[in-house]
Amino acid sequence: MTIARTTRLTALLAAALGAAAPLHAQEPRLEGRLPETARVQVDSVVTVARQAGLPTEPLVDRALEGASKGATGARIVTAVERLAQELRTARDALGTHSTDEEIVAGASALRAGATPADLARLRRARTGRTLTVASAVLADLVSVGVPVDTAVAAVIALAGGAADADYVAFRRNVEQDVALGASPVAALGVRLDAAADRGELGQSAGPASKPPRKP
Amino acid sequence: MSVERDGVLIRRVLDGDTDAFAGLITRYRDRLGRYAVRMLGNMADAEEALQDTFVRGYRSLARCSDPDRFGAWLFGILVNRCRTIGAQRARRQRSVITDEATLARASVGDGAEDHAWREAIAWALAQVAPANREAFLLKHVEELSYDEMSEITGASVSALKMRVLRAREELQRLLLEVDRV
Amino acid sequence: MSEDREWFPRLVEALREPVRIDPALDRRIMRRVAGEAVPRLRWHEAVRDWLTRGRPVRLTPLGGMALAAAALSGVVAGRFWISPPAERPAVLAMPASVSGAPAAVQFVAVAPGATSVTLVGDFNDWNVAATPMHAASEDGIWSVSLPLPPGRYRYAFLVDGTRWMADPAAPAAADSDFGSTNSVVTVGEP
Repeated sequence: MTIARTTRLTALLAAALGAAAPLHAQEPRLEGRLPETARVQVDSVVTVARQAGLPTEPLVDRALEGASKGATGARIVTAVERLAQELRTARDALGTHSTDEEIVAGASALRAGATPADLARLRRARTGRTLTVASAVLADLVSVGVPVDTAVAAVIALAGGAADADYVAFRRNVEQDVALGASPVAALGVRLDAAADRGELGQSAGPASKPPRKP
Repeated sequence: MSVERDGVLIRRVLDGDTDAFAGLITRYRDRLGRYAVRMLGNMADAEEALQDTFVRGYRSLARCSDPDRFGAWLFGILVNRCRTIGAQRARRQRSVITDEATLARASVGDGAEDHAWREAIAWALAQVAPANREAFLLKHVEELSYDEMSEITGASVSALKMRVLRAREELQRLLLEVDRV
Repeated sequence: MSEDREWFPRLVEALREPVRIDPALDRRIMRRVAGEAVPRLRWHEAVRDWLTRGRPVRLTPLGGMALAAAALSGVVAGRFWISPPAERPAVLAMPASVSGAPAAVQFVAVAPGATSVTLVGDFNDWNVAATPMHAASEDGIWSVSLPLPPGRYRYAFLVDGTRWMADPAAPAAADSDFGSTNSVVTVGEP
């Protein structure tokens, strides 16, 4: 790509974004790793995200992952833009005072299939405590085969009474059970019962408020 | 005597063959009993803990997600029952009733000297605080890893290490003083 | 009675001695059990099917290793507890002892026949050469330990510089934007 075309593209992007994005506000980590066009575009997405107060490290990491895996510039940019949108949506659902870690974990949960409404419910169910671990565990449960609705219900059921360490233990137990051959839903059910016995389902939780178990 | 694997017996029970459960009881009774006896200090309480454990195990048998871990799963139930029963007894009387002589006889060993030593152990163990005693038994008698112990008890690894240490110090103090007397 | 030093091994030996429980207990338990309903779950059909059909096909390679080791350790050691084999990758979420302090995380890959395996992820800017793993055994176990500050990291293994492999012992990342699946490790939960 010629220098002239690159410069014009960059200028167009800067104008479109309406930001006084200095041409040399470059994310240093991207230097030399991406095709130049892609680097410029990713840089712009990162800049806009930064100005919007969103965490930017995951965006850069995603671009670097694409670079290492030999993906095309276009594919890298698409992936970064998608992630930026998820971060934005997560922040909208979790609230503007959410921490960076909560936003990133919320975005993972969205990618796993949770809805913004699910994240908002989680926030309401777990007042006064951070949602980073709960959201991450939600995504991880889905990754071992728990249907997303069931995973959401389980995480919200635990939200009132479980400490972050309880979430971690819960996830680990379900993963181990699944690795040793249990069906994901059955494993989840066993571990939820154990959590209930330990009082981790919170004050309002009793047998009646356990999440519905799907066969 | 049944030599079928746990998983086979469990399957039969879930299919409606209740009698198959007896095979599991026979298989695990003494093994679980050893922990219950050491933890609770007397045979009556230990037997109650065992009964409760097996009955609860039966009721939630369908929830034992991996039949190959039935013993471990059942053991987790036992540890909880021992806690509950121990706490109930403690509320009703000042000290744990220990029946050292019976316990000493129940052990598979011989010799009068061993007999006295076992009585001393049973007595010393009963003086140790329940949470510390539990951790000590899980670590040194059941030989669990700290991670496994943490999973059963819900306590952190560092808390468990502290409990084991305290139990050991207490036992050392009691047993070596007893010896010197 | 005995050397002070020996009291502990003697104590443990005595406590580990088998205990005889009255076999009449079995009958009492069975009498109570006989009066109970056959154990069921609300989704009992699915669970029963699973039990009678045997293991589902979807068993991770390491789940299989763990099971095999369990069969051995259960018999040989006389213990219930299934000790994971030493090779079982432990991508543990090690709690940071000091908030914010890096914790050492061990990564283990199983890649028989590989000549090189590197660890690539968020923590090293996805630099394919930054973190080579070393062969821990002759049959394809590779490992490396990294200090990682608390956080959540996506990563994968790169085998022989060409093949991307996720870590079967770790949760999969939901995002696979570039065709191959990644894994996630979480360090030092707050």
